[in-house]
Parts: sequence; structure tokens; C-alpha cells
Amino acid sequence: MSVIKANNIHKTYTETAVPVHALNGVTLSVEEGEFTAIVGPSGCGKTTLLNILGGLDTPTEGTVEVANTDITGMNDNQLINFRLQNIGFVFQAYNLIPVLTNKENVEFIMLLQKWPRQEREQRAMELLAQMGIADKANQRPSELSGGQQQRVAVARALASKPKFILADEPTANLDSKSTANLLDMMAQLNKEEQATFVFSTHDQRVIDKARRVITLEDGKIVADITR
Amino acid sequence: MLVKIAWKNVWRSRSRSLVVIGSIIVGVWALLFGSGFMNGFLVSYMANIINHDISNIQIHNPKFKQDFDVRYFIANGKAKAAAVRQWPGVRGATTRTIVSGMISSPKKAAGVQIRGVDLKNEALVTRLDSMVAEGTYFTGIKRNPIIIGSRMAENLGVKLRSKVVLTFNDGHGNITAGAFRIVGIVESSSVAISETYAFVRQQDLTKLVALGDIVHEIAILTQPQTDEAAIITRYRQTYNHDLVESWRELAPELAVMNEMYGNMLYVLMGIILTALVFGIVNTMLMAVLERFRELGMLMAVGMNKARVYLMIMIETVFLGVAGAPIGLLAGWLTIYYFRMHGVDLSNYSEGLEAFGYSALLYPYLDNQVYFIVTLGVVVTALVSALYPAWKAIKLKPVEALHKL
Ligand SMILES: Nc1ncnc2c1ncn2[C@@H]1O[C@H](COP(=O)(O)OP(=O)(O)OP(=O)(O)O)[C@@H](O)[C@H]1O
Ligand SMILES: [Mg+2]
Repeated sequence: MSVIKANNIHKTYTETAVPVHALNGVTLSVEEGEFTAIVGPSGCGKTTLLNILGGLDTPTEGTVEVANTDITGMNDNQLINFRLQNIGFVFQAYNLIPVLTNKENVEFIMLLQKWPRQEREQRAMELLAQMGIADKANQRPSELSGGQQQRVAVARALASKPKFILADEPTANLDSKSTANLLDMMAQLNKEEQATFVFSTHDQRVIDKARRVITLEDGKIVADITR
Repeated sequence: MLVKIAWKNVWRSRSRSLVVIGSIIVGVWALLFGSGFMNGFLVSYMANIINHDISNIQIHNPKFKQDFDVRYFIANGKAKAAAVRQWPGVRGATTRTIVSGMISSPKKAAGVQIRGVDLKNEALVTRLDSMVAEGTYFTGIKRNPIIIGSRMAENLGVKLRSKVVLTFNDGHGNITAGAFRIVGIVESSSVAISETYAFVRQQDLTKLVALGDIVHEIAILTQPQTDEAAIITRYRQTYNHDLVESWRELAPELAVMNEMYGNMLYVLMGIILTALVFGIVNTMLMAVLERFRELGMLMAVGMNKARVYLMIMIETVFLGVAGAPIGLLAGWLTIYYFRMHGVDLSNYSEGLEAFGYSALLYPYLDNQVYFIVTLGVVVTALVSALYPAWKAIKLKPVEALHKL
């Protein structure tokens, strides 16, 4: 079953002096359980595409369906709610709430979804353990390394079992060892929890771990390979 | 959780928040102390006039006050006063025989209100005995003793034991005169007492008036915290022909001052709280702008606008209200201390006493003022929260996250 269906997406930024055509007719679908990388040179439109797929931005033209729901016409608050219920996010940085502990950060989405406290805490601890940072549960994010912080972010994105997880360059700020580590864990969760991941990167070692690689160039898909 | 995040966010910029909280403490304290001070002035001024001059309630013949004609006395005045004295809530009731006339010394003459007083009850109601600064309270001189105010003594150029002559119309329209000897001189911040009244024994005056044992005025002092209206109603129901007035009607300027003080409190509160609004808004705007990316992330992962708005509101209210209890306590303690010890204004009181103020000021606040101030601070915090919270929900997550 497709969790994402994007149909002929165009995105033009007009606030600039010269209009920028960031996406020029992107059509793609993502199936449940995929582990997909979106790659391409800087400025090719990866971030723009992920933002549109995740309902953070609206396309100038074209439609996006997530879990068979068209999200293109939704207003801000509908989109926020839709994201909360269906999509997990991992950003390059500034993922965590600094005043909360790591465990509370993982619980945060479940909390917004009003999970009962016990289930919430149990799930959070389970994921932190899977990510190998159970011992850091009661520390603050600032006490962790960059790689560990991204693992907390992945745990949070995954905790409420969203339809899929979008990650825009999740390893861009990490050294190579942390990068490999994070990718291994994502791959493991992909298998064990059947979590669907779509992430962008231009790191070759990350690309190597992906099972499907979509290559963008000048806002168009130029290659789509499943291994 | 929202509350927890908001509370912790307050302490992210510790020193910045402390500056705001500190200014709220000082603001609340200044507000309480300022109004306590003003109120102290007012209360002591009113207490002075009520306790030493006009009393809480006065009773007259309805026609008496038109031209102070001696013939308009209160029927059975003494018996009525004796009855009122027994009523609950009444601390004292005294009768006066009042005549307008002239007082003259060998050097000068002046207009005077001659008050024939019931020595024992007058002392209970107005503490006239305690105001005697020179001489005695009607002892030591057997025939026709008189007490006058210090200003009047100065004007007439008389001293203790000097002789003065009182001239007035008696109850039959004939001019009559009596010689009196000064037994005491009273000192008071009240202009009436020190300049226009002369006190004599009731029986000395009624003898000259020649209408029998008549009284023109009953003055009633109530117990503290007593409802005057209840006593007034009871009097009207018991004796229906007399004019009964409370201090509010007797001295309308006091009632006006009372009201003005209430307005002053709000003006002062308005000024101080407005200044605080700017401080709070400024701080919270900084906090929101600083956290733009974090707020963008929160909205991206699914925190809706209502929740973001609420979170900023709660944070602002925490910031605004955190200092209030300390400010309230500091204000209360300051007022309590000075209430016990008084603020000595004698260095400045030369001018003040002329207006009826006393030199020792006792700041005082109703409990309800503490409540109003607390409410004011909460409202201030809520109002201050509106703009920063609005600013927070206006941001677009993509743009906020983009600003790396
Ligand atoms: N808010 C914006 N306003 C105007 N132009 C934009 C905006 N965001 C992106 N662009 C432009 O759109 C194009 C695609 O940008 P995008 O950020 O999607 O690229 P990317 O593939 O994510 O690049 P990178 O690898 O550097 O992150 C670029 O030319 C960029 O300059
Ligand atoms: Mg990008």
C-alpha cells in the first residue's frame, strides 16, 4: 500500500527577485516499509520536496496524498494535526526541547496525542533502549553528543507509530562513526517496527545503506533505483 | 506538561527573568506602600475629624441648622441621649447646648460658637479632655469656667485665667451676657476647635439661655466596625421628628476625599502596571524570537497553534506572577511595620497640621486592596502575553527551521 503519492509536483519560489523553480513536475509514490534516500547535488530541491511531502509546505502545482488523504487543500491547523497523527520528523538540528529530559522528549508526540501515561513511558523507555541510550533517559539533550541527540529525535519520531518518517539530512551534523551508527539503528527499526523512512542526504555512505535511491536534479527525478 | 515546559522556559534566561521579576516585586511593593501611605493620610484625617469633632452621627432639631436659633432644641434630648447610650454599637453619646454669639476680651472681640457640654460624656465622645494643652478640663475654677482653642486665645490676646465675656440672644430674644474665666486651652489640628468653638459647662449655659435644661445637639460615637446606618435607622424608628445625619452628610468633603483616594489607587496602579507591561512584553518577545527554530520544530511535529499560544501565555503569566507574592509580602510587611511604629512627619508637619493631619502617620490598607493588586498583576501578565504569543503562532515552521 502506498503511504505517499505525489503527483506532478511543481514548486516555484516567487518571493525572490527572480522566481526559482525548485521542483519541476515530481511524481513518485512511497510504499509501506520502504527505506528510501533522496539524493542529489545541493540546491536540487531535496528539502523542498520533503517539506511538501510532509505537509510543511504547499506545492505551487500538483497534489500530495498521504495515507490516501489529499493534504494539498488543508489549512495550517489541519496540517499540524495531520502531521501529528501521521508523520514523524527528524531535522538536521534543533529537534529536541532543551528544557525536557530525553525521555520526556521521546514522550512528547505521544503526549500531544494524549496517550495514557503508563503506555507512553513504557514505549519511550523501550525505544531509548533500542537506540542504546536508556541510561541517558533522565538527562537533558544538551548533555548528549550530536549523534545521541539524533537518536532521541528518531525515537521521538517513531514513538507514536506514524505512517512514515521524514528526515532531512539527519546526519549532516554528525561525524562518520555517529552517522553509521544512526543509519544502522534506523535500518534496524525499519525492519523490526516496519517503520517507513524517507530521508535526504548527499553522504555516499548513507546512500549505500538505502534500499531505494531517488536522484533529483534541477527539481526533477532523474533516477529511481530499488536494490 | 505544557505548564512544566512553560515554567522551565521562564528560567532559561535566568538573569533576564530575574530582572523582570525583580521589577514586578518593586512595582507591587511601591504600589502597596504608596497607597498605604495615601490611605494612612486619609484614615488619620478622617479619624481625627470624626473622633475629635463631628463624631459618627449627629442629631438636631430639623430647624436648628438653618440659623442656629436657640429655640429649636431637641425635645427630651437628654433622655434620648441616655437611651442611645445603651444601644449596641454605640461607644458614647453626648449632648450639647449650642449658642452663637460673641466672645470678647479687654482687647478684642470675635464670633464664637458656644458649646455647653456634658463634661463626662463629651470626654467619652470627642476626648476633649485630652486636647487640653494648657490648664485643666474644667477643674480649679468654680464659677463659669471656659475652654477655648489656642488660635482663639492668640486672636483675643488672652491667657489662662483671663476673663472673657460671652454675649448672645437668650431663649426669649433678649441680649444676655456672662463673664467666664479661662480654665483650659485646647490644641487641635481642627480649625473649628482651635478657632471657633468655646466650651462651657452645660448648666452654666442653660442658665443664661433661660429655656430650661435644653440641648441642641446629640453626638454619637460608634464602636469601630459598626454599621452607622443601623443605628441611624433605629433612631429614626424610635424618635421620628429629629434630623439624623451621619458624618458623610455632616462633612461631605470627607466622603469626596474617600472616593478620590479610591481613584488615586487605580491611577497609581495603572501607571505602575503599564510600566510592567512593557518590561514583560519586551522580555517575552526576546524569548520568542530567540526560540524561533524551536517553536518552528514544535509546530512541525504537531503542536497546534492553540497549544503554542497557551504555552507562551502560561510562560508569560508565570513570569508576571512569580514576583507578585514577594512584592505583596514586602508591601504588607512594610505597611505593618509602619503601622506599628508610625511614620514621623513632624519635620514637615507644620504645614500639614494646619490641614487637619497629625504628625505621626500610620499607613493602612484594606485587605481588599491586596486582592485588587493581585488581580491587577494577573491581568497585566495576561495582557502582556497576548502579543508575544500571537507573534509565536504567526511563524511558519518551514521558514523558522530554515534559518540555520
Ligand atoms: N524559501 C525559499 N525562497 C526562495 N528560494 C528557495 C527557498 N528555499 C529554497 N529555495 C531555492 O530552491 C532550490 C531548492 O532548494 P532546496 O533547499 O530544496 O535544495 P536542497 O536540495 O535541499 O539543497 P541542499 O542540499 O543544499 O540542502 C534552491 O535553488 C534554493 O535556492
Ligand atoms: Mg536541503
